[in-house]
Amino acid sequence: MIDMKIAVGQGSCGIAAGAGKVYAALAEQGLGSVLTKTGCIGMCFLEPIVDIYGDDGQLKRLVKVGEADAEKIAKYVKEGDEEAVKSLEISPEDSEFLTKQTRIALRNCGIINPENIDEYIARGGYSAIDKALDMTPEQVIDIIKTSGLAGRGGAGFPTWFKWNAARQSVSDTKYIICNADEGDPGAFMDRAVIESDPHNLIEGMLIGAYAIGAKEAVVYVRAEYPLAIERLTNAIAQAKEKGYLGQNILGKGFSCEMRIKAGAGAFVCGEETALIESLEGQRGMPRLKPPFPAQSGYWNEPSNINNVETFANVAWIITNGGEAFAAMGNDNGKGTKVFALTGKVKRGGLVEIPMGKTLRDVIFDIGGGMRSDKAFKAVQLGGPSGGCIPAALIDTVIDYKSLSATGAIMGSGGMVVMDESTCMVGMARFFLDFTTKESCGKCVHCRIGTKRMMEILDRICRGEGKQGDIELLEELCVSIKDGALCGLGQTAPNPVLTTIKYFRNEYEAHIDDKKCPAGECVDLISYSIDPEKCRGCTLCAKKCPVSAIEGTVKQPHKIDTEKCIKCGNCKAVCKFSAVVCE
Amino acid sequence: MSENIINLKIDGKDISVKKGTTILDAARANGIEIPTLCHSEYVKAYGACGLCLVEGENMPKLMRACSTVAGDGMVINTMSPRVVRARKIALELIMSDHDGDCKAPCTKACPANTDCQGYVGLIANGEYKKAVEVIKEALPLPASIGRICPHPCEKECRRHIIEEPISIAQLKFFAADKDLAGDTYIPEIAEDTGKRVAIIGGGPGGLSAAYFLRRKGHSVKVYDKMPQMGGMLRYGIPQYRLPKNILDKEVALIENMGVELINNVRIGESISFEQIRKENDAVIVAVGAWKSMKMRVKGEEQEGVFGGIDFLRNVILGEKPEIGDMVAVCGGGNTAMDACRTAVRLGAKKVYVIYRRTRNEMPAEDIEIKEAEEEGVIYKFLTNPVEFTGENGRVNGVKLQIMELGEPDASGRRSPVPVEGKFESIELDSVIMAIGQGSDLTGIDGLDLTKKGTISADENSFVTSQEGVFAIGDVINRGAGIAISAIGHAKKAAIAVDAYLNGVDICYKEPYYSERVVTRESFPNVSEVSRVKMSQLSPEERKHNFDEVVRGYTEEEAQREAHRCLGCGCHDYYDCKLIKLANNYDIDPARFAGEKKTGYVNKNDFIERDVNKCILCGLCVRACSEVMNITAIGLVGRGFKTVVSPAFALPLDKTNCNACGLCVQLCPTGALQERSLLAKQVPVKEKPEKITCTECDKNCTVAVSYVGGKVARVIPADKQSLNCVLGRQELIERISKKLSDAK
Repeated sequence: MIDMKIAVGQGSCGIAAGAGKVYAALAEQGLGSVLTKTGCIGMCFLEPIVDIYGDDGQLKRLVKVGEADAEKIAKYVKEGDEEAVKSLEISPEDSEFLTKQTRIALRNCGIINPENIDEYIARGGYSAIDKALDMTPEQVIDIIKTSGLAGRGGAGFPTWFKWNAARQSVSDTKYIICNADEGDPGAFMDRAVIESDPHNLIEGMLIGAYAIGAKEAVVYVRAEYPLAIERLTNAIAQAKEKGYLGQNILGKGFSCEMRIKAGAGAFVCGEETALIESLEGQRGMPRLKPPFPAQSGYWNEPSNINNVETFANVAWIITNGGEAFAAMGNDNGKGTKVFALTGKVKRGGLVEIPMGKTLRDVIFDIGGGMRSDKAFKAVQLGGPSGGCIPAALIDTVIDYKSLSATGAIMGSGGMVVMDESTCMVGMARFFLDFTTKESCGKCVHCRIGTKRMMEILDRICRGEGKQGDIELLEELCVSIKDGALCGLGQTAPNPVLTTIKYFRNEYEAHIDDKKCPAGECVDLISYSIDPEKCRGCTLCAKKCPVSAIEGTVKQPHKIDTEKCIKCGNCKAVCKFSAVVCE
Repeated sequence: MSENIINLKIDGKDISVKKGTTILDAARANGIEIPTLCHSEYVKAYGACGLCLVEGENMPKLMRACSTVAGDGMVINTMSPRVVRARKIALELIMSDHDGDCKAPCTKACPANTDCQGYVGLIANGEYKKAVEVIKEALPLPASIGRICPHPCEKECRRHIIEEPISIAQLKFFAADKDLAGDTYIPEIAEDTGKRVAIIGGGPGGLSAAYFLRRKGHSVKVYDKMPQMGGMLRYGIPQYRLPKNILDKEVALIENMGVELINNVRIGESISFEQIRKENDAVIVAVGAWKSMKMRVKGEEQEGVFGGIDFLRNVILGEKPEIGDMVAVCGGGNTAMDACRTAVRLGAKKVYVIYRRTRNEMPAEDIEIKEAEEEGVIYKFLTNPVEFTGENGRVNGVKLQIMELGEPDASGRRSPVPVEGKFESIELDSVIMAIGQGSDLTGIDGLDLTKKGTISADENSFVTSQEGVFAIGDVINRGAGIAISAIGHAKKAAIAVDAYLNGVDICYKEPYYSERVVTRESFPNVSEVSRVKMSQLSPEERKHNFDEVVRGYTEEEAQREAHRCLGCGCHDYYDCKLIKLANNYDIDPARFAGEKKTGYVNKNDFIERDVNKCILCGLCVRACSEVMNITAIGLVGRGFKTVVSPAFALPLDKTNCNACGLCVQLCPTGALQERSLLAKQVPVKEKPEKITCTECDKNCTVAVSYVGGKVARVIPADKQSLNCVLGRQELIERISKKLSDAK
């Protein structure tokens, strides 16, 4: 038996894929002594993942591991039988998903055990706060300024500027707050950081607290992230025990307490002033700015709010210097950015790359292109607040300015890839539906404006669109961007605006011809069977959930369009491409 | 200059304000009004309504003036096209989710927009004088019009959803009769302007125009060709429907206001149209439609064939037209009904009404058709005269073509078609043709006419093709209509004429009103109560004389009937900021028509909340928590479904609401209303008077408003009185008692 470590990736994603059961099965095989857990490795498409580190430090990565594979793994571990796990080993192509990344914020994710502070310390953890405490707060802010770090939550506002503003505000009480209310559909990097490397967040926040002069730090985490809350709670306790948190940290005279506030699941609480309202126990609704939180925030005291990913870069920057961070990226964005790559892409997961790379690098080079044989159509960037970028602009450079020029935004880094089978009107409606439901209801433009946009999109998708609807949507979009109170409302029209900009013909097809070119809007499509192609295999009839398909064996089948619910099962199962959707 | 002063430019005006002043306050202090629906000095800036948006030079985003602090050197535009567009859309969006009726359907249906709900409500409260005041904002002849108006208001009355409409017209003449019998109301007349207006035609339109223009202080002369004023009210409506002594009194009131009434003047004879134009600054032509139309039927030139309105006029003038025993009236309108019932009263033995369609298609009022039948009139439906036979030049019968109903025509009525070869003949002594009226414009030259021969006039400004000449009533465009339409013209034309006299170009503009759709389910707490029938003469009592048929309401009957009113129009219409802005910005919310929030109505003794009208400005919620520290209400739900509600949707009286009324005071719409002390809630313009309360030693200011002679509201009017130690109920009781005692 060789001396080794077996790490099972146990982020929420891994656990959802069955990592917990795999872990238990491995323990049952008597591997408990070498078994450990780690956080999110970042390759959602391969979960559950089991990393086996040899005593030489060599890594063998096994993917899509099931409970039943535990025996094989045990065989390999106990007997050194390479053949036993051969079929589970990650392919060289899939390995590129990680090797082509540059990981700063995610540097410890999937490597250390997030529940063990010593593993964090072993990788240089808490040395940055030690270093920072030997500097003046102004020097710390200077390093951050040199690094060019900007807010990773969406707005891309220079971090040093906010820190400096809070530093300049005169008050005995100041707060540093972490926005971990990650609510964008399709974004999960913040969860991954907290679940996989909670001490990195704590250390980043401590450095920020020192820089602005805060003695209290609050992490606002959405309650839908129970594992993140559990691991962060544990990490805070460990850090406190080790003297990294609390009174007189590292004996250097700086004190800071940290606590967690679980948010109740309102997307708008990701808006910093709404977050403050929520922290104070009020209804989550944005406040007017000015005054900015740096002047008057939590309990009307100077407060600084940064996103998880932003804080996750801070310790690295202090350790390695601002210049090292700024060396990555281009003039419009420094350092790296984490993207949550999802949708119709072959390899989905967390991708951290330096700014300046292109969308093609992420989607095709790292993501491996489309999962099916269908052509790439567009990518939605920045979640419901972002916009869609069409295939023609695949070489767009990833930085704040270049992405904004397309009408999309960097946002928090949600990247939803779409192929030809995605209806762009339906896609815009999906995201707008989200923002409409998540509107806090305070301002008129957002509360009623987005609702009216939804109603127009609904009728377009139902085939009841009217001439002038596109123009009415555009008018509403412009007006909502101008008139809405906070970022949620101001950016809500983006998916609609960009899809109209790049896919106007699809809107027109829905309105003028009552057709959905992507074949997704159920009211505008109908299924039929081409009798020339149908071989009468009866598979479609068996799979039809409403028995709408009739026919005898070896005779062409027929769909009863009255009964058909347009689920598309028949088309999906037909081996002869005989089912036509129009 | 002090360091604490900054300079900026708003709408081109150089402004200096203290550092820290918001753009909104800076503008207001300098007479520039920036609209807002969610801001008040009582509470912190909130920024929900999006109406105070302004544009700053070189600033990419629009700013909320309520919260943006004015900066030194800022250049602000409060009315740039971008700002106006943003406000307009904000208002359209708000209105698309604002479910309520600004005005009651009755009021909107009235061609003169008479505030029916207002006066009906006042009658319910016994405030008859105030009711007449309200009526006379829209029409000066309520006792006459109340008797004869076909009342389009009642057709729209929502009470018909429950059982029957309110007797709006009869209530009108009830109040007007009371007024004429006692201390008669005369409206205030503005100072003399020195401008002269001549009105040609003293019918309901002409007299009303005179009344409205006289109120504005202009000197007005009314010329009429007949011996007395009143036009068709006098010479076209039989005495049994409108006793002329009533009309006389109402005409006299107009004369008492200083309008000069000149009768027996035919234009082009004693005075020329040109001369009238020369002598006056403006002229209104309101000569009506006094020519009976011909049927173009063989034999209609014979003796014994009368024009309908000619016949009615002659009877009223005291002539006795020779109609004999057997009379046929041709036509199915109100004039035909007046003619046949007059013929009955003149002693005719057999009176026929010949109408080519059926009873269902008759344009006459149902009640007229019914009462004529009761008086013995014989209807010959589905018949059409093809020839009036005669002997020695005098009519002696009619040959009728039998008709049947075919396809519906443009008016939606099924058109009559002859049944080939089927005829019927009736013996007659006379025929009265009541099939339509035309205008006689002899002496009035130079005006562009329509194809129908009426004067062509714009229906918002009533200008004609000649400078300074306006035209209203039956003589314009579509021709003869009902009296209240001519009065509606007069009311609107008076605005345009007055503006013209002042050298400005303003015409009437139909205001935008919010409107809701209702069904029987919208009135869950309303049970059926039949309308109060007005007592009247029996057919036997009435058919041989010209006595007035109806007897009028008693006070008790009138109040009982008026109490049936559903009170559809918003009780806060006169205070509503939203509707004022909506009209200022010329909005079109129909563009955004969609789902509306579903709300409910909830009240305690003092406050009524209608969530359907709420625009979520949050003023009530903030006032309740920030100012009063009570928090009886809060925001519930998210996004479009957000509503203002007490916790757990409790009724207001189960919360700790102390009825301070601040929320009502700040509410920009009718979502929150102060219940008035009147038995029947009624929206009327109120002018609150501020008095000092002496019930304790705090000497708070309270505002008291009266409706007519009654105290309608007692409202805390300063910050300390919001927390009245007596409690709201006690305060109201003590003050209203004291005030009533003083009266």
